[in-house]
Amino acid sequence: MEEIEKTFSKEQAAIEAERCLYCYDAPCETACPAHVPIAEFIQSIRTDNLKGAREIIQEAHPLIETCGRICPEESFCQSACTRIKMDTPIKIRELHRYITDNTDPSENLELVPATKGKIAIVGGGPAGLACARELRRFGYQPVVFEKKQLGGVPANEISATRLPEEIEKKEARFVHHNFVSEVKDTTIKSLEELDKEYSAIFISTGLSGELNLDIPGNNLDGVYYSRELLKRAKSGAKLPHFKRVGVIGGGNVAVEVASVLKIEDPLRDVEVIYRRGTKELKAFKKEIEEAIEVGVTFQFLAIPKKIEGDKRVEGLVVTRAHLGEKDPSGRRNPVPIPNSDFVIPLDAVVIAIGQKADVYFPKVERDAKGLVKVSDGLMANVKGVFAGGDIVRGASTVVECVADGKKAAQNIAKYLEGGKNV
Amino acid sequence: MYKKIDLSMEFLGIRLENPFILSAAPPTDEFDIAYNGLKAGWGGIILKTTSVEGNSVPLKYPMMSSFGSMSRKVIGLGNIDLISGYQIDEIEKRVKTLKEVFPEKMIGASIMGTKKEDWQTLVWRLKKAGVDLIECSFSCPQGSMGEEAGRMLAQSIEATEKVARWVKEAAEDIPVLIKITPQVTDIVEVAKAVKRGGADGITASNTIPSLLGIDINTFEPYPSLFGKGAYSGLSGPAIKPITLRTIAEIAKNVDITISGNGGAFNWRDAVEFMAVGASNVQFCTLPMHYGFRTIEDLKRGFAHYLSDMGFNSPLDIVGKALPNIKSQDELPSPKTLAELVEEKCVGCGLCYSACFDGGHMAIDWDSEKRVPHFDEEKCVGCAMCMQICPVDAIKMKEKIEGSNSVYYFVEKR
Ligand SMILES: Cc1cc2nc3c(=O)[nH]c(=O)nc-3n(C[C@H](O)[C@H](O)[C@H](O)COP(=O)(O)O)c2cc1C
Ligand code: SF4
Repeated sequence: MEEIEKTFSKEQAAIEAERCLYCYDAPCETACPAHVPIAEFIQSIRTDNLKGAREIIQEAHPLIETCGRICPEESFCQSACTRIKMDTPIKIRELHRYITDNTDPSENLELVPATKGKIAIVGGGPAGLACARELRRFGYQPVVFEKKQLGGVPANEISATRLPEEIEKKEARFVHHNFVSEVKDTTIKSLEELDKEYSAIFISTGLSGELNLDIPGNNLDGVYYSRELLKRAKSGAKLPHFKRVGVIGGGNVAVEVASVLKIEDPLRDVEVIYRRGTKELKAFKKEIEEAIEVGVTFQFLAIPKKIEGDKRVEGLVVTRAHLGEKDPSGRRNPVPIPNSDFVIPLDAVVIAIGQKADVYFPKVERDAKGLVKVSDGLMANVKGVFAGGDIVRGASTVVECVADGKKAAQNIAKYLEGGKNV
Repeated sequence: MYKKIDLSMEFLGIRLENPFILSAAPPTDEFDIAYNGLKAGWGGIILKTTSVEGNSVPLKYPMMSSFGSMSRKVIGLGNIDLISGYQIDEIEKRVKTLKEVFPEKMIGASIMGTKKEDWQTLVWRLKKAGVDLIECSFSCPQGSMGEEAGRMLAQSIEATEKVARWVKEAAEDIPVLIKITPQVTDIVEVAKAVKRGGADGITASNTIPSLLGIDINTFEPYPSLFGKGAYSGLSGPAIKPITLRTIAEIAKNVDITISGNGGAFNWRDAVEFMAVGASNVQFCTLPMHYGFRTIEDLKRGFAHYLSDMGFNSPLDIVGKALPNIKSQDELPSPKTLAELVEEKCVGCGLCYSACFDGGHMAIDWDSEKRVPHFDEEKCVGCAMCMQICPVDAIKMKEKIEGSNSVYYFVEKR
C-alpha cells in the first residue's frame, strides 16, 4: 500500500524553514513530550545541514522516522508555535520528516562502554526502546523481552499508508543494533520470572487486550476486533471478504481501521458508527481528514444496541442519540432518543471502542482500569520496578511513550546510583 | 552520543578549537556576555576595541537600525556605535580572567589609539595580561581617533604602514591583525602597507559606511535620535559579497594571513570566506541576532561539509577557489543558452517579463499554458531570468565552440 502523505521538496522545506522565527526558549520544544530541539533543527535546514539536523533530532528521540510521519503535531509542538500569533504555525512535523526522509541514521556514534548492570525491559515498543537507548547511553546493559517484531504498535499495527513497514522496522533495528544488549523472545508475566541478575525492571508492555462491546450478537460470524484486523493488514495478509462494514468507535484506532478497510477494497462500504458527534471524535484531525478523503463515511449520534443475524452478521440496530451533559473529559454524553431505533444493513462489524491491559505482574499495583500506578519518577509500588508508556497512560502516542522511556531511564540511573549520572 | 567534532587548527601559531571567532563588537563587550560566548563553544574571541584611560567615548543611543523586508528584517544591520566604553585597565583584567577560565581558547583584544605611546602602551599592557592576539581597528566607520578624526586610518596607506609598525614593534612575538575597511580605492595597496608595517595578518573587513533608511513622512534618517541621524556602519548578510571580494583580492595579491569578517551568517558563508583565502571567520551580526547558540549549526554543518568533501582540516579549504577567480577579460567565451527545467516551472511569467524589458526579448510567453519558450536565436545567455526564477527552474547551458563538452551554471542556495 502506498503512503498518502508526500515528503516536502527542497524548496518547500527551505521556504517553511525560513518562516521559523528561531524563538529563544522555543515553546514548540517544551510542547514536544520528547523535547526535540526543534528551533535548532530548523536552523540547520536553513543552512542545508541535513545531517546535522538529523543528529539533533536523533539525539532526543529514538523513533524519529515514525514520529516524522504519525506524530499528532497539532496536539504537541505545533500547537505552541509563536507564529500562530502572526499567521499560521510552522509545519514542524513535515520539516522533521523532510530531514529523516533525506538522511540516514547517523552512525557517527560514540558510547561509553556498557559496564554497568543489566536492566530488564519488558516490552519492545516505543517506551521500551527509548528506555533501552537512554540506559545504554548511561553505560547500562538493557535486555529487552519481546515476542513480536520490535517497535510495538507502530511496527505491528499502524497502517502502511501512514507508516510503511520498512521504515519502522529499520528504525527499531537501528536501536536494537546500537543500543540493546540482548533481545529475548519470551513473554514475561511475573516479576519472579526475571532473574536476580537484573538491577532494575522497566515494564512497557503496552495495552495488549481490546474492550468488548457488550451487546447481543457480538459473537456472530463477521464480528471482528480492530487491532486483530490492523495486525493482519500490516503483516500483508488479506482481510476477510465483506462488502458493508460498520466500525464501532470514535478514536484513532476506529478511524485507522476504517481507512485501512476502505483503501484495501474501495468498493467496500465502510462506515464509522459513533455514539457522539463530530466534535467529540477522539481521533486526530489529520487521520479523520485522510479517512474522509479515501471515502470512509461517518454515522454520528448512533448508539449500537444489537447486532442482528442468524449465524452471520446481517445488520446493526442503533438508537439515535442527542448530546447531553458533559462528562469528566469535557465531552458531551450521548442521550438515547426513545423509539428511534433503526437498522443499518451490514455484513461485518468491527469493534474499536478501546484497549485494555492484560493484567500480568500480580505484585504490581494497578488502578481500576488495570493501568500500572507509578510515582512521579515512574516507579511502581515494588522497589526497582518502573513502568511507562500505554500500560501507565492508557492509549497514548508514540512521542509520549518515548518521553516516558527517557524519563524512566533517568530515574532508574538515579535509583541505582543515588543521583549520579542523571 | 556522537563522536566529538574536531575542527581544531593553527592560526598564526595559536591553536583554535574551531575557526569561528566572536569579533570585536557588543557580543564581546561585557565580561559576562564574552564568557557566555566562549562557554557556548566559539573558538575564540576578540574583545571589543579598547583605548587608554581618560579617552572619552561619547556613545549615543539608540544606535542600531536595519534594512530588509518584513519577512526578513535584518538583511543589513546598521550601527552608530563607537569603540568600547571600557578602557585598558578593565580590559587587561578581563583578558587575565578569561585566559584563566578558558586556557584552550584564543583570547584576543582589539585596540585603537592616537599617538604612538598610546598604541604601544595598549599592546604592552595586554601582552602582560596574557593576550593571545592583538587586533587594531583601523576601520571604525565613525572614524579613527587622532589627527584625522572622522577618517578611517586604513584609508591612508602611509598611516596604515606607520601604525602597524608601531604596534608590531611593541607586540614582538604576539600576533597582530590589522582590521581594515573595504571603503578604499585599492584594497591591495592597503594590504601591502600592512605587510610592510610588519603586522602578521589582516581582518577583512569591518562594517561599511552606509545610510540605513529615511522615514518618508518625516524625513528623519535611521536610527533617529530626536529626529536626527548619522551614517551607520553596515554589517550582516548584506555585506557578504563585498567581503568575499575584499578577501579574494587581498589573498590573490599579497602573501599575508587573513581573518574573514563581514556578512558571514552561517557555515556555508564561512566555507566561502575560507575558500577565497581566509584562515578563520569572525562573526558579529549572527550572534547579535540569534544568540551564541548559532555556534552549534556552524560547527556541525562545517564538520559534515568537511567530511563529505573528504577534507581533514579546516585549513584544507583555504584558498581553494582562488585559482578560479579571474579578471573578466581572462574568462572563456562559451556560447550560452537558458534552459528550462519544465517539471519545476510554476508558470509565474517573471522570466518573460525580465527578459522582455531587461534582457534580449528572447522568451516567448504561452499565456494559455503559462510556460516560457526560449528563443535560441535571440537568447545571449545573460542569466538574468535564472536570477529571478523563484523555483530555480532555469539553468544556463554553456558550450565552447568546436568542443562537445557542455557546462551548466546553477547557483546553489
Ligand atoms: C554595534 C556594533 C559595534 C561594533 N563595534 C566594533 C568595535 O568596537 N571594533 C571593531 O573592530 N568592530 C566593531 N564592530 C564590527 C564587527 O566586529 C564586525 O566587524 C562587523 O559587524 C562585520 O561582521 P558581521 O557582518 O559578522 O557582523 C561593531 C559592529 C556592531 C554591529
Ligand atoms: S537590546 Fe533592547 S533591552 Fe537590551 S539594552 Fe538594547 S534596547 Fe535595551
